[in-house]
Formats: sequence, structure tokens, C-alpha cells
Amino acid sequence: MILIIGGIASGKRSYAQSLGYPEERIEYDLQDLLRDAPLDSQTLEKLMHKDVITCCEVGMGVVPLDANDRAWRELVGRTCCEIAARADQVVRMVCGIPVRIK
Amino acid sequence: MRVLVVGGAGSGKSAYAERLACSLSAARTYVATMESRSPEARSRIARHQRQRAGLGFQTLECPMSLAEALPEDVVHGVALLEDVGNLVANTLFLHDGSMQDPSKALELIKCEFASFCHGYEHVVVVGNQVGSSKTPSGNETLAWVRVVGALCCWLAAQFDVVVEVTTGIPLVVKGRLP
Repeated sequence: MILIIGGIASGKRSYAQSLGYPEERIEYDLQDLLRDAPLDSQTLEKLMHKDVITCCEVGMGVVPLDANDRAWRELVGRTCCEIAARADQVVRMVCGIPVRIK
Repeated sequence: MRVLVVGGAGSGKSAYAERLACSLSAARTYVATMESRSPEARSRIARHQRQRAGLGFQTLECPMSLAEALPEDVVHGVALLEDVGNLVANTLFLHDGSMQDPSKALELIKCEFASFCHGYEHVVVVGNQVGSSKTPSGNETLAWVRVVGALCCWLAAQFDVVVEVTTGIPLVVKGRLP
């Protein structure tokens, strides 16, 4: 499985689509699945069987004023660490350019 | 040669881009995009002026749009443009406080960039990495972040070299530096 991370409008989706996997094998925008709660173990295992996961990097700005936003951005970061540890490849997008970091 | 230099706030991207521009040619044009309307902007502008003092740059102000910096003929030497964030803000946000259609603004800037790049032997553009935080609240900020990101992707795709600067350290993510 390939985890693709990057900021807003950094080219994650285009790069994921360029890899040639069928759409149903790609999970886009992991950060949105984490809006309300952490993933339960069943959902996480299902995700791990995808070929590609994309997720927005959200932890590099100022600490958000809203407590829910703070919890969410922490959760997105921790979940990415967990998925990255089990991924075959991790790619970080810089201005549309894939930089393989694992 | 066309080089895109990106980095976060205070990453050292400007100082690096200036050194790089100096190494490319002795004929140096600095394309300044920041409007000097607030005291904070004026103090940032003064800091950047001090930083590049004595480096032999001729400064071209273009606080409205890149169209103001288009040379009439092909100019030899290097143009250093700083930065994408201001350029996008200047085009996206109008003086009456309203916002232009983001996709229109993006297309307009792309057209201007194409003519601008055509005019110089070497171009160094400083871009901003602004999309790696919580999704901005407010449509205008989000639109700005998206246009800055899309423009940086577009520039990176056609430029020869892309460098990401972190803590003053340049990491080449595309191409090779001279």
C-alpha cells in the first residue's frame, strides 16, 4: 500500500490517479474520515487493504483556536504515523512532485 | 534555467533564492510583489531590502500584477520573483475588498507567467508552502491557499529545478542545480 501525503492543492489526487490503480482501490482524503472519531480497528484493517491512501498534511500551521480542530489535527497526524509504519511506500507531494520518503 | 524555490514561513527560502540568482548571472532583476500598505508590510519589505543590499539587484515593483514586470524585449540575466503568495493575493483580491473568481485568477496569472518567463534568460520564483495546516476557515483564505498550491504545481511541472528549503537547508526535489 502507498500512502500519499501533502498539503492542500499539492497534487495528491493527480499523482494517485497516475499510478494506474482502479478507483475503488484508492481511498482519498483520509483526513475527512477522521472528522468525528478515530477509525475503529475494522475500518482501519479495510483501509490497509487498499492500494493507495491519500491524506492531507494538517499539522504544520498554528495551533487551532478550536479544541475540536486541535484534537482532529492530532488524530490525523497519529493515524498517518500508524498507516505509514505499515505502508510499503510513503510519498510526500511537494508542488505536484512526488518525494518518496519511505 | 527556471527554478522554483519553496518553503514555509521563515525557512530561509528568500536568502537561498537570492544566493542562487546571484550564481546564475551578474545582470539581476528583483521583482517585488508586496504592497506596502501596512506598517508590518513596510518592515518586511525593509528587511528584504537590507538582505539583498549590495547584491546588485535592480528592483522592479509590481504590486498589482505581473504584467507590470514584463520586459519589452528579451532581457539577459536573471529575474528573481518574490513571491507567489503575494502575487496570487494581488490578483485574487480586488481593491474594493471583493474576490475574483479563483479559476479565472489562476488562468490570468499563468498567462502572465508565460510572458514573464519568456523575457528572461534565468527565472527564480519563490513559492510558499501554505497548504499543510488545518483547512482554513473562510472561503477567501481557502481559495488563496488553493490557487497558491495549484500555481506552485503548475510552475514545478514546467520548471527545470524545484528546491524545497527547510531550516535554511535546500533539498532538490526535481532536476539538478548548475
